[in-house]
Amino acid sequence: MLTFTRRFVLGVTAATLALSALPAMAQDYPSKPVTLVVSYAAGGGTDAIARVFATRLEKALGGRVIVENRPGAAANIGTEVVAKADPDGYTLLIGNQGPMVVNPHIFNLRHDPAEALDPVAMIADAQLVLVVGPRLPVKSMSEFLDKAKAQQLIYGSAGNASASHVATLLMGQTAGIDLKHVPYKGAGPAVNDLVGGHVDFMVTTVPSVIGLIQNGTLTALAVTGKERFAALPDVPTADESGLTGYSASAWYGLLGPKGLPEDVRAKLAEGTAEALADPAFIESLQKDGGVPSNLVGQDFADFMAAERTRWGEVVKAADIKVE
Amino acid sequence: MIETIEHLGLGLSVAFTLQNVFFCFLGCLIGTLVGVLPGVGPVATISILLPVTLSLDPTGALIMLAGIYYGAQYGGSTTAILVNIPGEATAVVTAIDGHEMAKKGQAGLALGLAAIGSFIAGTFATIVIAALATPMTKLGLLFGPAEYFSLMIMGLVLAVVLAHGSLTKALAMIVAGVLLSCVGADMETGRERMTFGLHMLTDGIEFVALAMGIFGFGEIFKNLADPEKRDVMRGKIGRLLPTFGELRHNLGAIARGTGLGSVLGVLPGNGAILAPFASYALEKRISDRPQDFGKGVPQAVAGPESANNAGAQTSFIPLLTLGLPPNAVMALMVGAMMIQGIVPGPQVIENSPDLFWGLVASMWIGNLMLVVINLPLIGVWVKLLKVPYRLLFPAIVAFCCIGLFSISNDPAQVMMAGVLGLLGFALYKLQFEAAPLALGFVLGRLLEEKLRQALIISDGSMTTFLTSPLSLGLLLVGAVALTIAVLPSIRRSRDEIFVED
Repeated sequence: MLTFTRRFVLGVTAATLALSALPAMAQDYPSKPVTLVVSYAAGGGTDAIARVFATRLEKALGGRVIVENRPGAAANIGTEVVAKADPDGYTLLIGNQGPMVVNPHIFNLRHDPAEALDPVAMIADAQLVLVVGPRLPVKSMSEFLDKAKAQQLIYGSAGNASASHVATLLMGQTAGIDLKHVPYKGAGPAVNDLVGGHVDFMVTTVPSVIGLIQNGTLTALAVTGKERFAALPDVPTADESGLTGYSASAWYGLLGPKGLPEDVRAKLAEGTAEALADPAFIESLQKDGGVPSNLVGQDFADFMAAERTRWGEVVKAADIKVE
Repeated sequence: MIETIEHLGLGLSVAFTLQNVFFCFLGCLIGTLVGVLPGVGPVATISILLPVTLSLDPTGALIMLAGIYYGAQYGGSTTAILVNIPGEATAVVTAIDGHEMAKKGQAGLALGLAAIGSFIAGTFATIVIAALATPMTKLGLLFGPAEYFSLMIMGLVLAVVLAHGSLTKALAMIVAGVLLSCVGADMETGRERMTFGLHMLTDGIEFVALAMGIFGFGEIFKNLADPEKRDVMRGKIGRLLPTFGELRHNLGAIARGTGLGSVLGVLPGNGAILAPFASYALEKRISDRPQDFGKGVPQAVAGPESANNAGAQTSFIPLLTLGLPPNAVMALMVGAMMIQGIVPGPQVIENSPDLFWGLVASMWIGNLMLVVINLPLIGVWVKLLKVPYRLLFPAIVAFCCIGLFSISNDPAQVMMAGVLGLLGFALYKLQFEAAPLALGFVLGRLLEEKLRQALIISDGSMTTFLTSPLSLGLLLVGAVALTIAVLPSIRRSRDEIFVED
């Protein structure tokens, strides 16, 4: 009797599981709201891009996409949440440079993003800009480099191992100059001290300083991408202005837990491509300092692997490993 | 001067359209409600509403978000006074005497003074923004890491004055608060400190978890352990609104608080949190009955509340003139501006004067709205105290848990607050005060951050704090205040009060 009951219960459970698994199949994906995890608190650059992207993805998929902020531990918490989720396509991650390719070199991660996550598609690329304030009245990159060779310059960053920090590290290594790092908690307070003349310069996201550049409070010397930035047409790239080969950018992509069903993945990649083709989306990306950048599947994975190697060398040379 | 009036006129003409008044009202109402709910702060609310603002026009959207911000500041004080749960750092001070007043049956008076004080402060701060935004911006920029550090030292000295019991215990609490603020990853190296390998401590202790735990849950444990005291409080309700005479008595405190708040609000990195603490210390220093502070003095509510609101308002200055957000709520406002295609920064005032001045004028309208919304609500809030405690406390716990969970969508914060609640209860039993601990905690973070930044810039030389005149001045003020605090005569009177307790 007991065995029968147990078998009966097991059977019912199995049937229920099978039934509940059905809606997860791709033909009717998504049949329930999709959660898009952002590893930062609401209000930051990644969050802004994720929220605009979520509204577009919603249209493309024809189902709800909810942004969930899971900030903490240098954005490693968000990675972990998605790494541990079921690979059914209902929990996705907006991954970016820091947690995906820099953090593996700095922290002892419980889940290596390259192994625990499935890259779906890259969404956007946001370059940074080198700005100087009243403490360092130089007008061009060559003047800047001369100054930096004559005396040790002080730079503020949005935080230890942030995009703003590692991009400056690479700059120092490329130019062969020794720079002094002052970490802040976020770009805001750092820009404040740059405007106040307490630090010399900063490499930061375009939206955080574009108003101050346009009004002349800060001077933009170079952008860090491979091409000039549309909203700052007169500002040369670092590569153009003497730092040959230098490029650094914060990028954003869509990832899911390892083992996403192939058709779900295809549907998501298609949805991303659809969003990136929308001029309104491109316009709002530009306001957040980004340009669309669509790499799908393996191409995105290869890009991340290359980035990981590149930033690994930068971080290693600067010796900023934790533990 | 005439220019200022012209500007405000333009602003009022923008803000007084039916649509914008409606958004202002809506923002203030939502803000008050989320402020009253413990733990559900303006950051969560604004980030949820951010996509909604896309479909509104820029001015209306920003007016609504600004309304949520100062509405929440005000609503938070209500919870602090009624149930002793400060949802934000700035409400910690309000809770000290405000809740004591509520226990004495003066909840209506405390809430009324808070509302009227906030309105006066808000009106003044609006004028400050309109007339002095540019010079005030320069003041904020003078504060580099070294100056900021000295300001924090001064703030910690003020914290000693906050305590009404033993000086030694107050100092111990401040140090404990500073130590608690050091938990988590080191800002320079990322190395974990005092986390015991626990994942939830990597980013340090959230202020909301600390406040909910030590004040909120601690208070509940206290009331459950001591039902008699609680019922005494429940019996009395008292008058709802302050009389004219009571108001006149508090006008000085309101004016001083407004001044302090207006100046401190401009400082980068959320200097506004110092404002209510500074106001409390000032009121206590100049009062002829300092020994009553901590037992329900109206000035100790009116002053800090005014300071809090003035600071909340002038902290818009760096955002408006430089596009730099001093705190998380302001960062969201920047996000809202960018969604609307407005680049935050100095050019907003020239490129979109109607938006700039409309927003400034709406702040004043918003403050008026808050009085209109909140004065009638006082009756409702006070009746809340009549709800039997066995029904009230599970509701408070439930709301706290929701708020705590919403910080990072993670149950870890709820657990942390639970543990801190036990600590709060232990502190109460051992007669330690929690307010200096909270201040030490809040200032400790900035203290460490600014100390290290200043020392990196100066190559490790401590003289950097003395060579800057501003920094030196602040340290001297702190030293004078400390000397007064430890003078034998004063210490004796402190000990007497302590014995009385």
